[in-house]
Amino acid sequence: MTRLLIGIGAAALAIAVLAMAAALAGHSPADVVGVLFDGALGSPLAIRGTILKSIPLLLTGLCVVIAFRAGVWNIGAEGQFIVGAIAAWMGSPYGTIASMLAAAVAGAVWSSIATAMRLWRNAPEVLTTILLNFIAVHILGWVVNGPLRETSARYPQSDPAASALPQLAEIHAGSLISIATAIAAWWLLYRTTEGLRLRATGLNPSAARHAGINVPAQIARAMAISGAIAGVAGGVELLGVTHRLFERLAVGYGYSGIAVALLAGLHPLGSIASALFFGAFVTGAGELQRTSGISAAIATFGQAVVILAVVAAGALLTSRKPADA
Amino acid sequence: MLQLSHITKRFGQTLAVDDVSLSIAPGQIVGLVGENGAGKTTLMRIVAEELRADGGAITRPERIGMVHQHFAIVPEMTIAENLALIDRTAFRFLSLGSIERDAEATVQRSGIALGDVSRRAGELSVGEKSKLELIKAIAVDPTLLILDEPTSVLTPMESAELFGVIRDRTRRGTAVVFISHKVPEVLEIAQRVVVMQRGKIVADTPRAETTAETIADAMVTGARATSPAGSPARSTERSTPLLQVDSLALHRNEIVAIVGVAGNGQTDLIERLRATRRETRIGFIPEDRTRDAIVAEMSIAENLALGERRWSKRAGAARAKSLIDLYRIRATGPRQRAGDLSGGNQQKIVLARELDRRPEVIVAAEPTRGLDIEATRFVHEELRKAVAAGAGLLLITSDLDEAFALADVLHVIYRGKLSEPLTPATAAERAGRLMAGIS
Repeated sequence: MTRLLIGIGAAALAIAVLAMAAALAGHSPADVVGVLFDGALGSPLAIRGTILKSIPLLLTGLCVVIAFRAGVWNIGAEGQFIVGAIAAWMGSPYGTIASMLAAAVAGAVWSSIATAMRLWRNAPEVLTTILLNFIAVHILGWVVNGPLRETSARYPQSDPAASALPQLAEIHAGSLISIATAIAAWWLLYRTTEGLRLRATGLNPSAARHAGINVPAQIARAMAISGAIAGVAGGVELLGVTHRLFERLAVGYGYSGIAVALLAGLHPLGSIASALFFGAFVTGAGELQRTSGISAAIATFGQAVVILAVVAAGALLTSRKPADA
Repeated sequence: MLQLSHITKRFGQTLAVDDVSLSIAPGQIVGLVGENGAGKTTLMRIVAEELRADGGAITRPERIGMVHQHFAIVPEMTIAENLALIDRTAFRFLSLGSIERDAEATVQRSGIALGDVSRRAGELSVGEKSKLELIKAIAVDPTLLILDEPTSVLTPMESAELFGVIRDRTRRGTAVVFISHKVPEVLEIAQRVVVMQRGKIVADTPRAETTAETIADAMVTGARATSPAGSPARSTERSTPLLQVDSLALHRNEIVAIVGVAGNGQTDLIERLRATRRETRIGFIPEDRTRDAIVAEMSIAENLALGERRWSKRAGAARAKSLIDLYRIRATGPRQRAGDLSGGNQQKIVLARELDRRPEVIVAAEPTRGLDIEATRFVHEELRKAVAAGAGLLLITSDLDEAFALADVLHVIYRGKLSEPLTPATAAERAGRLMAGIS
């Protein structure tokens, strides 16, 4: 309940700060918010744009939810997204399902590199996952300039993938995949032994260990699941939207996933609302750039406000916990 | 000096402190006793300005030092660095040498022996850590010193040292509040005994006018549970031991106690025992409840299900409900956050979780530390029942009374080494000497 209020408050704050910034830059705050709103939800086309943006955001958000819940700071959704997209392209000649599976496996393998370094060499995953993002970006740059470059070799991009996700009402099936994943993640966390152990590991690893839970194995599985979801996000984006691989494929979906997860209070179902909010925010910001020349980077700014607000509210709440008498 | 009038504090549904008025004069030693959850710590944290009261007025003395039951030490830092942290000077250059010289002077002034101040705080024994906490509190030269269960991890000798320090402080006009539920101890040190029960002060008498029985009666609520007399009969049949490490052997229906001052290798021993028996689950009751046994943010039902092979939300809730009744856990229901319960009730959760699986071997480390009389008796009873039902119990404790009350066989652990097995009949004087390292 409190998490819901914090989320709504943070989202409102992001819009308010945005309007204030616009006022400082000489625009009318009401107009800016109006354009933002119209650009995101004002027409069927705008709504479609919002939903298309929300799909990868929901998946990367769920990736972060699962990892954070297990107490692992997976900041690597971006890299896992990218390797997922590459694997999906390579799997696409074998059909959509094979392509998606390949994306999930690639994401899981990529995140597991960080797990291995954490469990065996005690390397903090906050660093290793970020560094693996850079490696993934460079691998993508290399494949689209080299081995997977399109046959005409005109642009640094691949040929279109051999298969695509089916379209439902002009929106690709990734919408269903992402919502199903959110429900599955909720079910996993709150209705299964695996989820109970995963949450206990995140909240109090020592108590989890003493209660007989294999904490390293739990962390490894959570990271694999988390990476797989980000990999699927990359696969869905490739087979549903871009169809080709190119260097700026991820455009920060992985990092935005952190904002989605935090705004949702790390709740899988809350992530649906949170992803839609950010999807709308990004889409509206694009419209803002086209009509009033305010940079679409304002969306990133909004995300930062949300993250800060949620983290600050969380810190305030925990500092007031009652002591044991 | 300290003046509390009509102090009230609520945590959610619970009224932790209920309209309390109290005044303490300089140089006075006040024993504050009561069961777990009676509100002693909460009241004193309000005095120490760590919590804000919801209602009432307070006049505080100038400097207050409080020693908590839980350590507030940075384990990665040395003793000297930990002591340097209490310095409130706005800005100052520090060198390792000056920190250590200051620390040595501070330790000296406190009158407490602590040894080399360049040791890392994390490596100290529990007894030494609590001494460090006390030194930290005394270093500010407090006019009011609050000690929360300071003797729970100390040996009798260390407790005597602590009492000496307390008396010495009061001669300089410091008032001391001594929170405890060990009545004999309070009677030894306090000049005045204040009893709290469910957030209220129910008795406030000078030491000379009260007895252990009166205090105990005031502490415990009317609904004192009747306990079955004595321990149930045990089979004396000697089978192959369930567990064997060095000279220690644990059989079915047997309680083996390992007594020793905290920090003498108990942790290593526990880890070794767990390693020898990976295939069967050991029922394990860790020493540090909040760190090792309870996930405070999770519900009671979820805590009870930790480590279960199979779990479903509905079956888990039903099982939690029956365990809450069976183990008399005082809670609003299975969905209440475990972290909101008192220490005694948290320990009951751990007990319920670990014993309900009917483990062959139970390892219990300081299972009654910090618990009140009623909860202690309850824990002992449940452990005895499990042993009567066929389990073997390894009890690791620094409380000799507990060991003698429960154990069939005792070992003393000192600097990582186990003594020969002793029987309670022969151990009485020997155990105390072995614990202090005198053989």
